[in-house]
Amino acid sequence: MEQQNRKFKMIDVLYLLMMILPIVFLIGLKILTSPATTGISISGARIYFKLPMPIQDLVITEAQINSWFVMISIVGLCLYLTHGLKTQNILRRQHLAEWIVEKVEKLVNDNMGEYFSDFGPFIASIIGISAFSSLMTLCGLFPPTSDINVVAGWAILVFLLITYYKLKGGVLNYLKGFTEPIFVMAPLNVLGEIATPVSMAFRHYGNVISGTVISVLVVAALQGLSAMVLGWLPGFLGEIPFLQVGVPAILSVYFDVFSGCMQAYIFAMLTMLNIAGAFPQEEYEKRRQKKLLKAKI
Amino acid sequence: MIQSLDVISVNLWQILISLANLLILFTLVKKFLFGPVKNVMTKRQAEIDEKYTAADVAVDAAEKDKKEWEEKMQGADAKAQDILSSASENAKQRSEKIVLEAKERAESILRQAEAEAELERKKAIDGIKREIVEVSGALTEKMLEREVNTKDHRNLIDSFIEKLGDSDDTDK
Repeated sequence: MEQQNRKFKMIDVLYLLMMILPIVFLIGLKILTSPATTGISISGARIYFKLPMPIQDLVITEAQINSWFVMISIVGLCLYLTHGLKTQNILRRQHLAEWIVEKVEKLVNDNMGEYFSDFGPFIASIIGISAFSSLMTLCGLFPPTSDINVVAGWAILVFLLITYYKLKGGVLNYLKGFTEPIFVMAPLNVLGEIATPVSMAFRHYGNVISGTVISVLVVAALQGLSAMVLGWLPGFLGEIPFLQVGVPAILSVYFDVFSGCMQAYIFAMLTMLNIAGAFPQEEYEKRRQKKLLKAKI
Repeated sequence: MIQSLDVISVNLWQILISLANLLILFTLVKKFLFGPVKNVMTKRQAEIDEKYTAADVAVDAAEKDKKEWEEKMQGADAKAQDILSSASENAKQRSEKIVLEAKERAESILRQAEAEAELERKKAIDGIKREIVEVSGALTEKMLEREVNTKDHRNLIDSFIEKLGDSDDTDK
């Protein structure tokens, strides 16, 4: 019993380390690779190395590395939450795990209907990776969601799913959808189709990076203000930007925490609504009935 | 010197990597969070259902036992009543029989006694008759020794006694 308990706790610690170590590692990496000069600059992700690939070089940047480590963290969290699942006398973390699962399933069922009830893990992983990526700014790390490529990848996956479910109503039905309400509208309809993932990607990306930009601007402005107001203080005291203390943190609560979680939720919501809306329920039913009839004959 | 990307720079491979990332995370979350949790939830539901059915079965069995016992108790009551009534019936019959026998015996004893008494009475009557005859004979003999014919007297007395006997004994 005692030994079992110890083993259980050891595994717990391992999972917790799996959650925390990637973040610590990333912070270390950031500190080691940060340039010494700390001028105000707004730029994209830092490039770690380049791999020559056809069409375009593959650049491994902070965004990629960070999102991989966030994934490891999320998996560690999942493992920790589901460690020691029981049917009775459940641990507190199992309450949390069950709460998450139930909430996500309810969200999916409410927004997508019965047919899409298997979408729970997908929506959960979208919310998880998006929220945790955005929240990385709290550790001073580069949030992968402020790289357009990362968000575009998710949006394209959603677009593929939308198209897949549209095709469930038959290819002809899918193509016919572009000529509605009249044939001339076809180019606009195609544009509208493409606009969905583009708008999703840019909405998410723009929200996160605008937070970063505004934060940087505010910090720079506060530095200038501080130098102006408190510049008369003697010696090095005048050089310390006192006004930078505290104020950016308040902004960070909105731009990093609130906006990050909000965008994750919005992205998941749009994913659900777009996929569920793309699925032609009636056409699908008709086709299935036909197929069943054919199978009977 | 570490370079940075531009703020907006589209890279096809990065997009593909990100897409694959989401897919991989989806499978991992499904495997490590949703799978086990849903599994345990269905297991718990099954356990609860099982317990409920077991409880139902137990309640049914108890209900059945109760009914059986009640029936048995009622049967026992009836049986006890039966035994009591049959016992009292028996006792009654026996007592009646005993009383009857006793009566019969008493009657027979009475009859015997009566018969004996009758016999005695007859004997006594005969004895008395004889004695009376003898006594009266002797008396008359002594009174009329010399002049009266004993034979006549005897007849006379006999007829007298006969009349006497007739008056109080109808059997004769």
